[in-house]
Amino acid sequence: MSGEAPAYLDYAATTPVDARVAAAMSECLTIDGVFGNPSSMHFHGRQARERVERARVQAAALIHAPPQQLIWTSGATESNNLAILGSARAAAKRGRHLITARTEHKSVLDPCHRLEHEGFKVTYLDTDREGLIAPERVREALRDDTVLVSIMHANNEIGVLQDIEAIAAVCQERAVPLHVDAAQSAGKVALDVARLRCDLLSFTAHKLYGPKGIGALYFAPARRASLQPLMFGGGHERGLRSGTLAVQQIAGFGVACELAAAAWAGDAAHCERLRARLWRGLEPLGGVLLNGHATQRVAGILNVSFTGIEGESLLMALSELSLSTGSACISDSDEPSYVLRALGRDTELAQSSLRFSLGRYSRDEDVELAIAAVTREVRRLRAAAP
Amino acid sequence: MKAGAAAVPAGAPAAFADPLGPAVRALFADLRHAGDAPPGAARGDAAGAGVAAERMVSGEAGREQRGTRVRFMLRLAGERLLQVRYRAYGCPYTLAACEWLAQRLESTGRASIGGPADWARDLSVPPARLGRLLVVEDALTAAFAAADKTVTDS
Repeated sequence: MSGEAPAYLDYAATTPVDARVAAAMSECLTIDGVFGNPSSMHFHGRQARERVERARVQAAALIHAPPQQLIWTSGATESNNLAILGSARAAAKRGRHLITARTEHKSVLDPCHRLEHEGFKVTYLDTDREGLIAPERVREALRDDTVLVSIMHANNEIGVLQDIEAIAAVCQERAVPLHVDAAQSAGKVALDVARLRCDLLSFTAHKLYGPKGIGALYFAPARRASLQPLMFGGGHERGLRSGTLAVQQIAGFGVACELAAAAWAGDAAHCERLRARLWRGLEPLGGVLLNGHATQRVAGILNVSFTGIEGESLLMALSELSLSTGSACISDSDEPSYVLRALGRDTELAQSSLRFSLGRYSRDEDVELAIAAVTREVRRLRAAAP
Repeated sequence: MKAGAAAVPAGAPAAFADPLGPAVRALFADLRHAGDAPPGAARGDAAGAGVAAERMVSGEAGREQRGTRVRFMLRLAGERLLQVRYRAYGCPYTLAACEWLAQRLESTGRASIGGPADWARDLSVPPARLGRLLVVEDALTAAFAAADKTVTDS
């Protein structure tokens, strides 16, 4: 590595903060900045409140939502928890059934498991071999007592984009609310909650060049009465999420959303070009399998399995690259990716996957370095294999 | 993306250090005993005295589906171990342990090889990965059993 940092190819895990975002955040910290508590009535409080509400407008604009339909959370994990636990518990007298997919993020699956302990039933939908959920499968799973459907927009491991509009149409036929985890799609594709017709939508700052520790939950106007809070103590955010608002995080999130709204199409074209080059560079190795649908996907994620290779060995051999074998949230685990297993990949292939994720600052030389390094190590490890 | 903080600072917390540790990292980076042994020939002195026919034996354990598969190949002349090679599919600890064992077996022989607990200690293998070393041990044990059997048979 000769003293240089590895090439960063893990934008799906997190993104660096844009310098303009960092500048906006630093304005909200010190004595000469906007450091007040937005709940305070005095000048400093009102000044902070103004910054918070400006950010709410910026974040809401990214998903084409009315600002008042957005609340701040600590990130997509909390947004997902609030959407799922809050909806289900609020609707428990009406029904105790939820629908989600086996390929969802753990921040959706674990709240669902929690609800099962509370007596709810959860249907976990299978995807097809390309990671897509047919709206018809949702229709078949809906029951009279279904209180929520939760389907992610872009998958964090393989990048496939679900047809949320079609799934929402099915949900609306039965008046069942739909929650969408958009952590991996916000700022990457056009997002319009009115067009998607979802009732709840989670997104987070640190996937779109904003800071870690701040996210948002959109809720459609009709949802307010049927969302039970998880945190209490002050009644902030319309009683749905108590706690002093982190002004610097929120200000940064707002600016990141504003920048993403202007840059996402250019970012996507840039990532698409680099991803195509990466795939063309890796394919000649042979035994390289693309995981997930080839075209219905976000531009920046390329997930591939290498036959005859153990994924951790490949990852650890690639010290000049920063990338993941799967979700960074579970990569401490020794288990093969449950997402790839759900796609029908066998254990060996599920263990042999790498997730390359590209972003705004990815460069051609990063991709060329990745192609050379992966080619070298796949050949070396295959030569050592039985 | 370039940052000026690639090197691990002295005294850095373990989470920032290379998770493999220096010994495993060095072995994993240089798997010089991986692969098949080249075909050998009978050896002896010039007069042909003391000729012991070389033979290859191997032992294998594990399955790719379980995450680890190892094959050891031993070249022997009588009871003398001449060469050790291996093929392995598994995590970096598995590959490093195979390489380390191959080096030790060729330099010091079978007697001082110890067992998985010793290997884990010497290579700083985390307890969660001890199961992988048991597969390595099974493969090595199978290879030695094959070696002992061929000595007996001959």
